[in-house]
Amino acid sequence: MISLLRVLRFAFQNFWRNVWLSVITVSMLTLTLLTVNLLLSLHVLTDAAIKAVENKVDVSLYFNEGTQVELVQGAAGYIRGLDQVRDVQIVTPEEALERFRARHAEDRLILSSLEEVGENPFGYTLIVQARDAADFGFILEALDHPQYRDAIREKDFSNYGIIIDRLNEATGKVRVVGLAVAAVLLLIAMLIIVNVVRMTIFIHRDEIGVMKLVGAGNTFVRAPYFLEAILYSATATGIAAAAVFGTSRVLAPRLQAYFGIVQADLFAYFATHPLPVFGLEFAALSALTILSTAFAMHKYLKV
Amino acid sequence: MIRFKNVSKIYRPHTVALKNINLHIKAGEFVSIVGQSGTGKSTLAKLLFAEERPTKGELVIGGWDVSRIRRGQIPLLRRQIGVVFQDFKLLQKKTVAENVSFALEVVGASPRRIRELVPHLLRIVNLEGKAGRYPRQLSGGEQQRVAIARALIHRPKIIVADEPTGNLDAINTHDIINLLKKINEFGTTVVLVTHNREIVNSLRKRVITLDKGEIVSDQEEGRYRL
Repeated sequence: MISLLRVLRFAFQNFWRNVWLSVITVSMLTLTLLTVNLLLSLHVLTDAAIKAVENKVDVSLYFNEGTQVELVQGAAGYIRGLDQVRDVQIVTPEEALERFRARHAEDRLILSSLEEVGENPFGYTLIVQARDAADFGFILEALDHPQYRDAIREKDFSNYGIIIDRLNEATGKVRVVGLAVAAVLLLIAMLIIVNVVRMTIFIHRDEIGVMKLVGAGNTFVRAPYFLEAILYSATATGIAAAAVFGTSRVLAPRLQAYFGIVQADLFAYFATHPLPVFGLEFAALSALTILSTAFAMHKYLKV
Repeated sequence: MIRFKNVSKIYRPHTVALKNINLHIKAGEFVSIVGQSGTGKSTLAKLLFAEERPTKGELVIGGWDVSRIRRGQIPLLRRQIGVVFQDFKLLQKKTVAENVSFALEVVGASPRRIRELVPHLLRIVNLEGKAGRYPRQLSGGEQQRVAIARALIHRPKIIVADEPTGNLDAINTHDIINLLKKINEFGTTVVLVTHNREIVNSLRKRVITLDKGEIVSDQEEGRYRL
């Protein structure tokens, strides 16, 4: 117990007596952790964004002009009966015309063309929302029903699929770049740790020499350096956690406004997962810094 | 107590520092190892506290076979052997008392034991009034006495003093040698490595003379002959 306390004291002394080296090391480790947390935030927000897009995704079924309302209602009832369907909305030709006019209110050319046609060119439309974007394929297949197939003029879905694909593709690329940046930062941090330990050994060579001379055990000589590595990791994790909580709290209202009804509260995510996120980051960082320290001591500390 | 049996020490690639050393030092002896620079005196001292290992032969110190000692056992051996150097090897940022207590701290001694032992040792080396001073505030002789106090803290069976008076004037040299003699009178084996003729001749103790890594003379109550 006494030895443990003394080892702790020596570790803290090393940390403070080489405070600028400690600051550099902790900064690099903190930057690495911030990059990792940025990637994690990106993952959380991407999920939220995909959910937001999926909520907006629907397929529009345009019926031929003059299709009987009974047929349209039958089709709506049939689609509603599918487990994959969340909601079906019937848009009458009049509503469709109204929406078209509202959407192109500024475009005189289109409006004048509509006037030239003279009559309502729109038929009935069904707007179908699926429970999951992946279900649209099944729903579209189901609409190939012989009773309705010939009455449907057009099915409009593909644009949203492209949006989701592009979103996944873009975030995938960002993740790869982010992971590469995190790996480079971590490598730099490990090299710094190796050199910090090397310099600390050099600075304390007299003290280490005397320790050896008077019969200090190898563990007693080496243990402060390992504890120092854990101290670096703990400080970096603490700073990174504070920065992540602070930033996510400030950004929370803006993110919520941007994503609308979809839950995109990063602060809540980190607050509800402190152990899996920061606990795991601390454990991984400690393992890596201890590994770097062990390498430096194997190379430079002869006891 | 200490037995060298055909001990050789060769530094790579082919520098022979010690060659076929056969030596027996009994418990409680005061032995001076003399010889010119580069004759292997310091190498012999380093073998005694396991700073170096023999390349050939067998070296046994108080039951420890230094030629085959495991790394984990070296600290235990060193707690049985006090070492004093020409350059004192004191920690400049620690006070006299802290330098002495450091030797106890690193082996896990209790604070109570440290509080008891340190003033006692400082009294023995006549530095009780200077516990709070830093090494730079002491004379060379006083610094060497701090080093001796530190060497004595584990109550070692052997003291190895490698040129302990090399940096001292005549008066301080006399004080340090008297202190080593006093320690020897209390039963501690003293191995003194020196090339100071006056010291060796005044001691009238056993003298082992090295030349080119070999023992060329071993005399009870010997004199410096080079």
